[in-house]
This record gives sequence, C-alpha cells and structure tokens, in this order.
Amino acid sequence: MKRKEITEIVQSILQAEGLETEEGCYYVVRAQSRREWTLRLTNGRFERVLTVRESGIGVQAFTPEGAAGFASVDALTVEAGREAMKRALALAQRNARIGAELNQEIFKLSPLRAEGDNPAKLEFDQFSLEELQEQVLFLHKRLVDKGSETSWQSTYRQVEDIWCIGRTDGTLVSYVVPRAVLMHQGTVREQGRAKNALAQRSGVDANLLLMEKEDSSLEQKALERADFARRVCIAPSLPSGHYPLIIDYGLAKGLAHEAFGHAVESDHMKESVLGENGKLKKGLQVARPGVHIIDGPLAGDWAYQPYSANGLVRETVEIVKDGVLEAGLGDVFSAREAGMPVTGAGRAESYGSIPLPRMTNIRLIVKDELALPNTSGLMDEVSQVRKLLLEKGELQQEGKHLLLLGYRGGQVNPKTGDFVFQCDGIIDVADPELTIYQPSIFSGKILSALQAIRVGLGGGCYDAIGTCGKGGQSVPSSGGSHRYLLLDQDENVSLGGE
Amino acid sequence: MKLVAQLEEFLHSAKSTPSRNDLGIRDWRILVHEASALSLGIKENSPGSVYTPPSYRQGESGDIYIIWEDGRLTQAQVQVPPQHGASAYWQMQLEEWRQASYEDPEGADIPLPEPLPIVAVEDREIERILAGEDELLFEQLAKLLQDIQPGINLNASIQAGWGYRHVRNSKGLAVSYQQSQYALSYSFDSLVGSGFAKRRLIRPEEWDNLWKRTKIYYKALQDNAPEINAKTVVVFSPSVVGSLLGQFIFPNLIGQSILEGQSAFKADEFKANKLVFHEDLDLYVDPLRPLEWGSYLVTPEGVPAQKTVLIKNGSLQTPILRIKDAKKWGASPTGVSSGTSGLYLESRQEKPWEEVLSGIEDGILILSVLGMHTQNSASGDYSLSAPQSLRILKGKIVGKRDVKLSGNFFKDLAFSETILGQEEMETKPYLVVRTGVQNM
Repeated sequence: MKRKEITEIVQSILQAEGLETEEGCYYVVRAQSRREWTLRLTNGRFERVLTVRESGIGVQAFTPEGAAGFASVDALTVEAGREAMKRALALAQRNARIGAELNQEIFKLSPLRAEGDNPAKLEFDQFSLEELQEQVLFLHKRLVDKGSETSWQSTYRQVEDIWCIGRTDGTLVSYVVPRAVLMHQGTVREQGRAKNALAQRSGVDANLLLMEKEDSSLEQKALERADFARRVCIAPSLPSGHYPLIIDYGLAKGLAHEAFGHAVESDHMKESVLGENGKLKKGLQVARPGVHIIDGPLAGDWAYQPYSANGLVRETVEIVKDGVLEAGLGDVFSAREAGMPVTGAGRAESYGSIPLPRMTNIRLIVKDELALPNTSGLMDEVSQVRKLLLEKGELQQEGKHLLLLGYRGGQVNPKTGDFVFQCDGIIDVADPELTIYQPSIFSGKILSALQAIRVGLGGGCYDAIGTCGKGGQSVPSSGGSHRYLLLDQDENVSLGGE
Repeated sequence: MKLVAQLEEFLHSAKSTPSRNDLGIRDWRILVHEASALSLGIKENSPGSVYTPPSYRQGESGDIYIIWEDGRLTQAQVQVPPQHGASAYWQMQLEEWRQASYEDPEGADIPLPEPLPIVAVEDREIERILAGEDELLFEQLAKLLQDIQPGINLNASIQAGWGYRHVRNSKGLAVSYQQSQYALSYSFDSLVGSGFAKRRLIRPEEWDNLWKRTKIYYKALQDNAPEINAKTVVVFSPSVVGSLLGQFIFPNLIGQSILEGQSAFKADEFKANKLVFHEDLDLYVDPLRPLEWGSYLVTPEGVPAQKTVLIKNGSLQTPILRIKDAKKWGASPTGVSSGTSGLYLESRQEKPWEEVLSGIEDGILILSVLGMHTQNSASGDYSLSAPQSLRILKGKIVGKRDVKLSGNFFKDLAFSETILGQEEMETKPYLVVRTGVQNM
C-alpha cells in the first residue's frame, strides 16, 4: 500500500463524521505497511527466499482524565481502525475504573503535519526478486570460494516500512523507513572446537549489493573474522581481572546503548542509576571532560526514524556534553515527570506495539583523538594500534593491554548499573606477538566504564547495527564511536575468565 | 471471508487451472493463525500505565509454501487483503511469489495426511475471557497490587490469548483446532521475578507457590552473604536452565545446522550415538503434554505431533528434523520444538528440588544472568555475570552475593556430579554443577 493511501485511511479514521466517541477523549492512530524480502543461502545453495507483507493499525485511546487503552488489528482499513478505536476506548474506560495511573501529557501537544523524505535512492522493487537472487548468489559464492574451509551462511534482508501517525489534535505525520542488510555468518572448526563469526553491512536499499560487488569490503571482513575465530578456537583463556582496555566501535556502540542510553530513557527514571527521585541527575559528571554521547537519527542509517511513533519530530540529543549529563531521551508521556524535555523518543516495533522511549543512532565521541592510519586487514590494523600506542606512550608498560574485538551483544540492569558485553576474542597488544585469547565477559558498573574512557583512536564509525529488545519488542538500533576507544584500568570494570 | 478460506480457495483454483504457463503449481501448504489476545500490566506499582495499558490485539496471518511445477519453491507470509478486489490481489501476489521462487530440490515435499494425536491445547476459560468475561484477569491484577509489600516496586504482565490454527495442504490435509495461551510474569524491584506460561490459566495453589517463592528470594536478596569459595557449587534455577538450553543445546540440535556443519555436533556423531552428556541424562521434544506452552497437534509442515528423544542415556540419538532435513538424514521427520518450550531435560538420578537444596552444603543459586544471548552457541563456552544471586549454606538460602560464571555447558551436562532437582511447577529442572564461579 502506498503512503498516500495509508495517510488517507488514518485521516478518515480520525475524522469526526461517523466517529462514535465520547467528548474529550483522545486518540493516537498508528498505521503501518511493511514489505520485506529475505534471501538466505547456505554453503552455495538457497535455503530460503521469503516475502512478507503485513499491515495494520494500532490505536491508543485516552479518557479525558488520561486513562489509556490500546487495541490493534491486522488490517489497514477505515472500518478496522474505527473498530480498534472503540475497543481501545472501552479498555481505557475500564482502566479508569481500576484506578489506573492517569497521564494527560498527550493532550498538551501541538499538532504537526509532516511528510518525511524517503532516504532510499532505489525503489523497494527496483530489482526483481530474480535479479536479487542472482546478485546475492554471486556475492555468496565469491565468499564461499575464497573461504572454503568455513561453513558460510549469507542473508540479505530488504525492508520498507511506511508509517502514518494521526492524532485527535489534527496531527498527521508520515514517513518511510527503508532498510537493507547483508550478513555473512561463518562457522569454523579447529581441533574439535567450533566458533561462529559474523560480519554485516547495512544500508537503505539494494544499492549495498552493488557496492559490495564493487569493493568486497564485507567479504574481506567476513574472511578476516572467520580467520580470527579459527585462532580463537585454540586460544588460551585469560585470567579474570581488571585491565587497561581498547574496545572497537561495535563494542563502544554496545557500551553507549546498553550501559548508558537505556539509563537516560524517560520511562526508566524512577529505577535508573542516573535518576534521583524520578528525575534525571542533570549536571552529574559521568565521564571525563571531552567525552560526548549523542543520540539522534542519521539519514541512510539502519535505525533511521525521523519522527516518533507518537507523531513528534525525533530530535538529536546531546546526552553527555564534555563529560556532564545534560539531557535524556524523553517521550511525550514521561519526559516531564523525568525532568527532561520531550525529544520525540517514542519508537515501536510495529503497529501492534506500544511505543517506548528508546535510542536511534547513539555515538560516543572523545575530544582526544589519535589518528589511526588506514590499513588493509584486521591484524594489520591491530598492529597499527599497538604501534600508535607505543609511539604515543599509551601502551601499558607491564602486564597486559587488551583489545576487545567484535560485539556479540550485551545487557544492562539500569537499576543497579550492572552491565555485561561479550566480544569475539581478545588480543594482548602489549605483547609483541599479539597473543589472542578466548572471549570473556566484559562487565562492571556503567558509570565506572564511562569514567574510564580516555582517548579515541581513528575517525568516527557509526554503522554498528543491532536490535533493541527493550519491552520485548525488536527495534533497529545503531551507533558507534571512533574506530577504537581506550579505557583505563578500573576496579569496577573487569573481564571474566577462568 | 476468512484468510484460510481465501487462501485455500485461491490455491486450489491456481493449481487446477493455472493462469499462465509458468504459474503452474504442483503442491502447496498453508498455516494460518487467527488469534486475539488481552494483556494487562503494572509498571512501578501503577496498574494500566500509559506503557502497560489494557491491550487487545486481533490478528489473522498465514504462511504459504508452494512447490511449482518445475520444482522451484516459494515461501511467503500474508495477511487478509483489502476487502474489495481480493481475487486480483491474490493473483498479483501469485506472480510475486513466482518471482521469489528458488531451487531447493530437497525441500520440495508435502506430506500425506496422517492421523493426529489427541493433545489438550485449549482452555475454555481463556476463550471466555477473550469473549468478554475478562473479570478474572483484572482480579489477578488487583491481587498482585494488594499483595505486594509496601516499598517494593512491582512490575507485572498478564496475558491471555485464544485463537485457531489451520493447517492445509494440496494432498488433503485439513486441520483446524483451537488453542489458548496464558502468561503471567512479575518482578520485585527489577531484582527478582517469576513467570508462568501454559495453555491454561494458573491454578490458585500455583499462584500462591510462585508468589511465596518470589517473596523468599526477595527477602534473601536484602542481606549480604559470605563470599563464595573453591568448594561452592553453582545451582542454575529453572529459568536459567531454560536459557542455557536455548543458547547452547537447542541450536546445536537443529538438523539443518548439523547437516550444514554449523552445529557443535556432527552428523556421524549421531550415527555413532556418541556419548556427549552424562549417561543419566535424557533430552527430548514432547509436544504431547497437555496444556503446555510448547504443545501442539501438528507441525506447520503438516506432520503429526510426536515425542522425540534427542539424547538418551547421554548419547546423541537424532536431531530435530523437519521434512527437508529428514529426507537428507534418511529418517522420518521428528517432533519439533519452538525454542525450548517443548524441550525437556530429565535425569534418572533427579530428586525433588527441596531435597536437593537441603543437601547442598555450600552453593550459590543463580536466579538470572546478564549476557546469555551474547554467548557463542557452537562452543558451549559461557562467561556470564550473575549479580543478585543467592548464597546457599547448609541447605538454606542465607543471602545475596554477586558472582561471575565461566565454564562450558556441554561439560556441565557431561559431568558425573551434576545433579537435577525438579519442582512441580517448572518444566525445566534446577541444575547443580561444579563450574567456574568468582566473587564480583
């Protein structure tokens, strides 16, 4: 379904004519139409080509007092939307009777009418599925031919999400979020032990396949990661302890997202380690001067979203400025109570989900940057890191100085401030042999980890992608930092191990 | 017209009278879900907050699988089309599906209908809730708020779902049945939580036991306990065992992963019934258990539900085989499990949890871990953080300790001193292991 049709449906659902409602009630209507094509190959053969079309409407209804109810339906018609409105209002009224927490913030918004630009350069079906199969098969086979000792799985996903959000106040906002990603996952074996390696390249459309055909950058990364995984299979474990660390930008994105971003979301402030009496601890020194954390949508990015799921402009927020906590990620419902401005932070997985404040692209930037020369391969780059640290007198003189490579995900408890991250493997750059170790959990207290960040190595890389699982939803997330970040040894930040 | 009827009619017609030479269909199958769900929530002691309002979701969606005359395959997910012009819509979709077709000779198979087992997967009380008699769910919400001690932040969710599952294929399979789901979860101060998920409502005694256990754990978390030492055994709680099975065992027992060399286990290790775990341990898929979350009558591929032993006496027996994998494996399709919900781990030496607990001189009970999803499935290695764990001394839970864990789950299951403890409410056991554990 086209954006214009969806917008007309949302407009019709909300128009007064024929609308059975009670005076003073308020509605937010979210309509979404989604197309997705997924192509997956394993060891040279297609395993799956899946086409998905889904669309529907979700309605949040509010009684005049501010009790909320929600209903959704897997259909995109005026009738279905009106039915969902009725159900949502009935639930809101029921909710009022059980003494629900009331929230009238939505009534205070100003109306907005806007149409976001589509950042894709190619139409969703610019290439037919047959053509895409040829392209993905070519890239997959080229990889398999070069890395024949590895079991390879390649997945290409292309998504187009069209959203329209309408509100009782006349707001009508629509936008298109295109996404594309090519992933190569390899399983390697060495001396009876198996490891997985993953490399991915994202964009907004099938153009990324053309770019990959041209420059093979993902292929090279996948082969290097598989080789690294093979060496990790037979690597020793690291004694647990506290070390000076270097983390790559994927891990830095994880640190910024999991360990910090979630702790400044407005709906968490009562329980967050960065909140006090339910308010953001604005002005708190959370990192060294020169450290900045910024969140906001970047056009062409995996997690791009120009408007919130509540129909507000998504703002770019400088969360930490020069080491000081300045602002949080506030949605309309909880920002005021959390002591922060509304920044349009509400995002939802789909029309069937209730929007929550969450990040888009979060990046961690340090004023002190050491230029890292371009290199042709992973271990060459690690050698360059060692050389640069030696030159600048930054390398640990005694003991280990560990570089954590590859982000495998993380988790945080915003209440206690405990975080954990996992990497693909660890390299001791203080050792001229660049000894590789098994991955072990990188864990600690979020404020200690932030305070430990000192220097950035290389320019900004903000294309580390992932999926935010907050509230049981799956929403694209992204971010990054300098190519590497240096963290001082800290008693509250450790690596697990034996 | 319902989605299942539309698809059935359209695919029958497209098969019998193809509209174009290249649109000839040899066989097809569909799986359609019609579902509605009601959910209620509590956020920080407030019922029905703007983030957890009473919510009603209604949906109808289908998975389509087509084998074209030339043997190519198509998979697609669909919803009900716009009311007007449904016929033209499906014709347009058919053309897109054809474009999306791919070659996979081993995947091209549709099973003949077979007798189905009798499995209880519906609770009529849940049907009534979704029909509007939903007072019970609101009463449960009120009870949670009433019973929570002052000063504790309660977050909770209650969900009831009801619907139809339709499985059809071109070889005459036509199965429709009703199924229900009920899930309850809550946490105290985001530190300790409990959950219940089955195809039936929770019973009052189960509710009470769950609440009582959570209160005991929460109380114990308020006091610091002595540090762990070299003698301390690690006790994984049932929810952590479920996560460990999901991260390290389930993905390595998928037939396709084994056939493609992406699993920790190899095909010839199954053929040789290699001993991989302790010989007291069995692991199996069982979709026949009445009213369990992972129970069903027929797989999405149209294969009748069946219990399948994956590991017997610690030895590899068979992977989880879908039709395509079974053909390559040279065996029949097995029971399948959606995640670990239908996966059961048992030991001939297992004892009731209370008895196991009373026998632990020095242990640490792991209620939850941070970072499970980040672990490398193929290696079995784990390196996890477990803040808010409970210290056990002389058979009693005595207080809180934050620990880190490192080990290998395959080795945990192979070790002769590993003990399983069963609790009636839980589908996964407690697991007592000797593994790497450190104070944080």
